[in-house]
Amino acid sequence: MNKIWLIIKREYLAKVRKRTFIISTLLFPVLYFALIFGAGYLSDKTKKVVNIAVVDSSGLFTKEKIDAVNRIDSNHLLTLSATHLATLKTNLAATPYDGYMIVPANAKWQTGFSNLPLYTNRTLSVEASIAIQSKLNRAWDQIKNERLGIDTAMLSIIKKSNVDIIPINVKDKKSNAGHSTLIGIIAAMLIYIMLMLYGSQVMMGVTEEKTSRIAEVVISSVKPFQLMLGKIIGIGLVAFTQIIIWVSVILIAYSITGGQKTNAVDGAIAQVQQIFNTVNVPQVLFFLVFYLMAGFFFYASLFAAAGSAVNEDMREAQSLSFPLMMPIIFSMIMMGAVLKDPAGPIAVWGSIIPFTSPIIMMVRIPFGIPSTVPWWQIGLSMLSLVGGFFFTTWFAARIYRTGILMYGKKPSWKELLKWAFRK
Amino acid sequence: MGTILAVNNLKKYFANQRAVDDISLSLQEGQIFGLLGPNGAGKTTLIRMITGIFYPDEGTITFNGKKFDPINDIGSIGYMPEERGLYKKMKIGEQALYLAQLKGLSKTDATQRIKQWFVKLEMESWWNKKVEDLSKGMQQKLQFVTTVLHHPRLIILDEPFSGLDPVNSNLIKDEIFNLAKNGATIIFSTHRMEQVEEICDQVALVNKGKKILDNTVADIRQNFKEHLFRVAADHLPADLTTAPFSLQKKDKEAYIIKIKEEKNSNDVLHYLLQNGCTIYAFNEILPSLNEIFIRLVEGTPTTRQFENI
Repeated sequence: MNKIWLIIKREYLAKVRKRTFIISTLLFPVLYFALIFGAGYLSDKTKKVVNIAVVDSSGLFTKEKIDAVNRIDSNHLLTLSATHLATLKTNLAATPYDGYMIVPANAKWQTGFSNLPLYTNRTLSVEASIAIQSKLNRAWDQIKNERLGIDTAMLSIIKKSNVDIIPINVKDKKSNAGHSTLIGIIAAMLIYIMLMLYGSQVMMGVTEEKTSRIAEVVISSVKPFQLMLGKIIGIGLVAFTQIIIWVSVILIAYSITGGQKTNAVDGAIAQVQQIFNTVNVPQVLFFLVFYLMAGFFFYASLFAAAGSAVNEDMREAQSLSFPLMMPIIFSMIMMGAVLKDPAGPIAVWGSIIPFTSPIIMMVRIPFGIPSTVPWWQIGLSMLSLVGGFFFTTWFAARIYRTGILMYGKKPSWKELLKWAFRK
Repeated sequence: MGTILAVNNLKKYFANQRAVDDISLSLQEGQIFGLLGPNGAGKTTLIRMITGIFYPDEGTITFNGKKFDPINDIGSIGYMPEERGLYKKMKIGEQALYLAQLKGLSKTDATQRIKQWFVKLEMESWWNKKVEDLSKGMQQKLQFVTTVLHHPRLIILDEPFSGLDPVNSNLIKDEIFNLAKNGATIIFSTHRMEQVEEICDQVALVNKGKKILDNTVADIRQNFKEHLFRVAADHLPADLTTAPFSLQKKDKEAYIIKIKEEKNSNDVLHYLLQNGCTIYAFNEILPSLNEIFIRLVEGTPTTRQFENI
């Protein structure tokens, strides 16, 4: 159909040329990297050394032991204090210390301390107090080892001789739950954002065409169904374009930053490489594109129908779109349960029913096909989503063709159903 | 000149309203046809059936001698709805091009015709502007151009002059006459009666889904005349019991009289002359369409009530 192509082209160009599309497309990768690098940079810049004086009346802590633990991390220092206790107590600010603690003379290495007070003149961050406690414990371990007569060889046995398990899925030896979870969450988030974002764009676009009466002009040239489908496909292609840009920008960025050995990048790259080894990336990408597009088409026509029922008032749009957003939001709530048991009944049904399947199936797929998701489930899920798409489009088109020309009061749900099912 | 559009016993019922209830119309090629009626009379529904947006429940539409086939025939129809009807954020040239292509014009054809029209209506500098930058009157002009670009044989204009200043109104009016002269048929829907009287050859009045009047403007005014005459004379005889007319009203310079049945204007003149009156002016008062419209529609509720069908 020549006319439907014209509509798709107009819709696509109008959206892609818009400043908001360019900004949001560029901004997303920028924000993504700002988040990764910015966080590391900020925490690096805001580091402040915390120095704690240890007043040891028991004589258990020696300078050698304290120095040994200070070498681990230079941000949180312990110092065996020579300063007079009275000065610390009365005028802490004048000393070079941020706080002090008193190890009582009657301290016993066998029992340790419960609730040893650490006096400071400002509230320490959780991170700092944990670091200080772990330093003290390391020194304390050494004290215990010496008293118990445990030498380095024995210590190595104690430390290194452990039972370590590794779960191996016999159907898919490479699978790794951690990476699968990560990929699943990212994929689900992406689909969620795209469905919400572009679904509401379809709706707003339809409402705009209706209220500006352009729909009436266009419908005198093409069928309402063509106008609706053209709009949905046009916006779907915009979504597709955006995804492709993001994916390639991220891939390019990773390959460029690969040369530099910044800590943050290094860790990220190593992890990405590991993910490539444990997850079937081409397969996941294929299904991501499928579920993203099919999910979009499944919902978009419903959003279009909702948009066609709206009059001038944008609040109507909210109340009409809410029921459509519910299953999408609900899918995200289900995600936790699916991640816990990716082969359980919630996961299986959630990934077959088309209202939730785009998100739920994408959470499951990284766990492996066919080990976690058997082929029949994928097949059924894809089939029901495509079938669902045909149904929603048929259903929505019937509401749309009436709604787009109806002005006046907001129709009730009953009326909308009547539009859909009358001959 | 043949019949371009014939509508026979057209019906469209909605859930609780007989929007169009058995309307028949016949339009000749080159005619300017006024479609009148109060709000909610069924004009828009009727127009939507003619433009193929709605299917009629009953009745037939014949376009250019054949059964109306929306898919093929809408290319020969141009429709300009009452309100706006343009993409606000789209450039004007692209917008006109898009709408013309939807009507089936090729890109080169469309571009050429748009440029011609833009020159004709002094819109050349608009091409790269956006619709939101235009005033309401300018938008109306653009809307008009997009309606007629594809050389439709039937042009439906819903309130085409709303928002236009007198200069631009005249510009569009001239174009409407031009289009009709070149063989296009125009359906002109409005509430502004003085424009109808000025422009239309034929008028149909629709009320409550039914056609209550369908005739030429001149005939309608003749049919609804009340035999009223305006007489400017130095005086009238004091006693009018034997006169062939009765005095309705006297204003500053003239008398409004109503001729009695079976008498005519000559009887009146004869009587006045015999009675020594000096006559300066004598003319018939025909009712304006506005008065006829109000008279016909009056007495029916101004807004349509919902009914059960």
